Amino acid sequence: MIRSALVGFVLFASAPTLAASRPRYGGELRAAHAGPPEIGEPALADTPMEAALLGLLTRPVCRVDADGRARPTLARELSRPLPQAVRVTLPSAASATAVARAWTRLSSPEAPSPYRALLYPLRGEGRQVTSSGATLELALAFPWPDLERSLCHPALAPPPSPASGPFSSAGRGVLEAQPAWPEGRPYLDRLALTATDERGLTRLWTSRQVQVELGTPPDNDTLTGAALYATYLAYSPRKVPPDFRQAVESAIDRDDLTRLFVKGPAVSMANLLPPALLPQGPRARPQAPPAGTARKVTLAYDAALADQRAVAERIQVKLHEQGYTVALEPQSRAALRSRQARGDFELMLSALLLPPLPGPALAVVLEAGGRRDLLGVELPPIGALTDAGARDARSRERALALAPSVPLIPLYAQGLGMRAAPEVTGLVLDAQGLPVMEGAWLAPPEASGGGGRP
Amino acid sequence: MSRSLLSLFLALVFALPSGASAAEGASPATARLAQAVAEAIRAAPAEAPVAVSLSGGSAELRRAFGTLLASRLAAQQLGPVVLEVPPERAEATAREQGARSLARLRLDLEGGELVARGDVLGTWVNFWSGRTPTRPPKPAAAVAVGVEADAAVLALAAVGTPSTGTPGPGSSQQKRPIRLLGAVFARLETPLAALAAGDLDGDGRDEVAALTAHEVVVFGADGRILARRELEGTAATATTREPFGALAVLVGPPRLAAWSTRYARGEVLVLDRAKGTLRPSGTLEAAPLGTSERGAFVPGQTVFAPEVKLADGRALTVPAPFGAASFAAPRMLFVHADGTASLYARPASAPARLSGLGVGSALGDLDGDGAPELLTTSPQLQPSPEVLRVLSLATDAPMAHEPLWQGALPAGRALNVVTADLDGDKRREVLVGSWKPDGTSELFLLRQGAP
Repeated sequence: MIRSALVGFVLFASAPTLAASRPRYGGELRAAHAGPPEIGEPALADTPMEAALLGLLTRPVCRVDADGRARPTLARELSRPLPQAVRVTLPSAASATAVARAWTRLSSPEAPSPYRALLYPLRGEGRQVTSSGATLELALAFPWPDLERSLCHPALAPPPSPASGPFSSAGRGVLEAQPAWPEGRPYLDRLALTATDERGLTRLWTSRQVQVELGTPPDNDTLTGAALYATYLAYSPRKVPPDFRQAVESAIDRDDLTRLFVKGPAVSMANLLPPALLPQGPRARPQAPPAGTARKVTLAYDAALADQRAVAERIQVKLHEQGYTVALEPQSRAALRSRQARGDFELMLSALLLPPLPGPALAVVLEAGGRRDLLGVELPPIGALTDAGARDARSRERALALAPSVPLIPLYAQGLGMRAAPEVTGLVLDAQGLPVMEGAWLAPPEASGGGGRP
Repeated sequence: MSRSLLSLFLALVFALPSGASAAEGASPATARLAQAVAEAIRAAPAEAPVAVSLSGGSAELRRAFGTLLASRLAAQQLGPVVLEVPPERAEATAREQGARSLARLRLDLEGGELVARGDVLGTWVNFWSGRTPTRPPKPAAAVAVGVEADAAVLALAAVGTPSTGTPGPGSSQQKRPIRLLGAVFARLETPLAALAAGDLDGDGRDEVAALTAHEVVVFGADGRILARRELEGTAATATTREPFGALAVLVGPPRLAAWSTRYARGEVLVLDRAKGTLRPSGTLEAAPLGTSERGAFVPGQTVFAPEVKLADGRALTVPAPFGAASFAAPRMLFVHADGTASLYARPASAPARLSGLGVGSALGDLDGDGAPELLTTSPQLQPSPEVLRVLSLATDAPMAHEPLWQGALPAGRALNVVTADLDGDKRREVLVGSWKPDGTSELFLLRQGAP
């Protein structure tokens, strides 16, 4: 995670760019992406690509930089007037209201989200957040030093509005810089976005029609974001046999999935937390359980994600060898989330954009795995540790210990691949693995050279 | 040594330990180096009495360091004697004075470090050697110790020609060659937004003021914090991604005008040196570019709008927005975002277009001839190393000629350059504000060194 971000920093640092020692303002950056042309609400737009695109228009109150520090973005300031209280100061009362509504909505019955676990340490578990003028006063139910950084998760952004992001839409794929963006206006004047497919990306890049590509497969020229988009096979313990986990673990080769069925950058994931948060060693696959009676199960997956469809089909084949007849059920993401919250499924591919911190990530995973009951038990001892390293270590330890009791079978984690032309300077990835496009600027032609382009 | 330098040095050596932001914290560089060298001499192992011979640096620096080193050696029961003889006569003199060991050291100030190099040798001569000055096997050691230099070292290393005060109009002034020595002056925990210098307390010596996104800090001539204040006020509707602002020392009565782009307005502050505070005395509606010059920020950008109000009230429109301005009447310099600059010989004249300047640029008379030189950093975003150049403005094309002086600066982005008279000797020192890679910033002081 840090390494990829550092690559960006090194690119930034090494450019011998004539700029009188400061970045230059102005210009239009042409970018192509392989994401959807329309993006939904932040809590559902959680693939790295969708989060990156939506992040141009709306941001949470802060961003976790590559150095691990929370930096206010939509908020003007995050402070702790008391150890057990966090104050978020936003630029306007309207903005504060929008954020409070977005956070409250995460816990609403009509749109339940696993990301509500990020607000669990608040009094009332974050079910009711209210603003007072332009500020949000957040009282903690127990010590949780990682709250500020948890609030930086993209799912906690308010719905897009003219002042909610560093850019605002000017129509036809053009985004204009937001002069009043609280973090400071972007260096670029505008972004011209083109939605295309993989072939289109290649064509636009080789013909130099774009300067930035989002969603490229990993290669030497690619900046790769932290692989924090974690996909699990969720199951309902009451609806599958007790040896189901063993059957899946024996049948599925995770490396196969990342090599053959999932678009990169992707890594196999054997633990509840992805390798970016919990280093993983080699693990032997268990023996297949003894053959039992034939079972019929339904596997729901995200219809919008080609990766999930391919993985679902692979699981269908491999579980067939274990005596399972798997019916595939493509669903909208909203329907999946709703059914997951109700426990209304047998099998489901569940993907989550985890925060870049083991403690908050564990909270989200437990929530998604239907083990909200564990949050009140597990989080307070983690939050009681004042040292960040100790909290992370404890979270990892608990993730390993809790894995058998959480009905989620980890499969793989993905990040965002991206590449930029030499004239694009200062483009870095944050700790979440998403590009900070508002920090990018265009170097004058005499300084950028032509290296790195086909 | 001029009286002002002497008083500054005494103040530095005998003052209480400085605040956290003064360079390297507690003790002066000379004291730290003396301690380190004394340890090296003791470990040689030197036998008392120890003679010390110093060369290099200025006479004042050698004397001050010799005093401190002798004190450390005395505390270690090594019976020090500081020799006031040329290095080539040191060994013989040490024997004549009955020393059993001799430390021969050369002092240098280079790259922001005060360095002592030399050796430690035995001066005892075996009776059977007769008149031949043989050496004993012990002590024998090489010494090479360096510490980060500070403002006191620079004061000691400065040229000792006393100033005669402000020359009258038409008086001819002697031009000195420029040779700058540098040391860390102070550090800040956050990136610098602007830098200014001026006499804020009326003592005839300039103070240095630094502006960050949310704070103003005033330093004394020794790099110690005199006062600091969190800025207050309504947040700006359009701020800059990088900390940026305008800071100037206003005259009659002395006040500090500070405006960070994080805020909708600037503040006028008065230094109360006795209380160590900055007291607000008003707000600003225009960005303070100089003591009397005013401008306006381009909203959201780290540049000022081209329209400038000059000290005499006249309006001037420079060719393009600019990121830095410097005024040395009647000359004016405006550095633009593309690394070019507009240099006005007089307000009414057409500007000369210069190129290849960094935003860390200023006008200041360093060679004492009464006319300012152009000081500028590298135009690159991340130069390695960052370089400060001093260029003569005697020609129409200053950038086309060899610099009067140039030297490397410590790593970082040098974005602010000002000149200041820190010791009241009417000569300008140079202060460079740099952003460090770890998110902090550093003020680096350069002053004329011994020839």
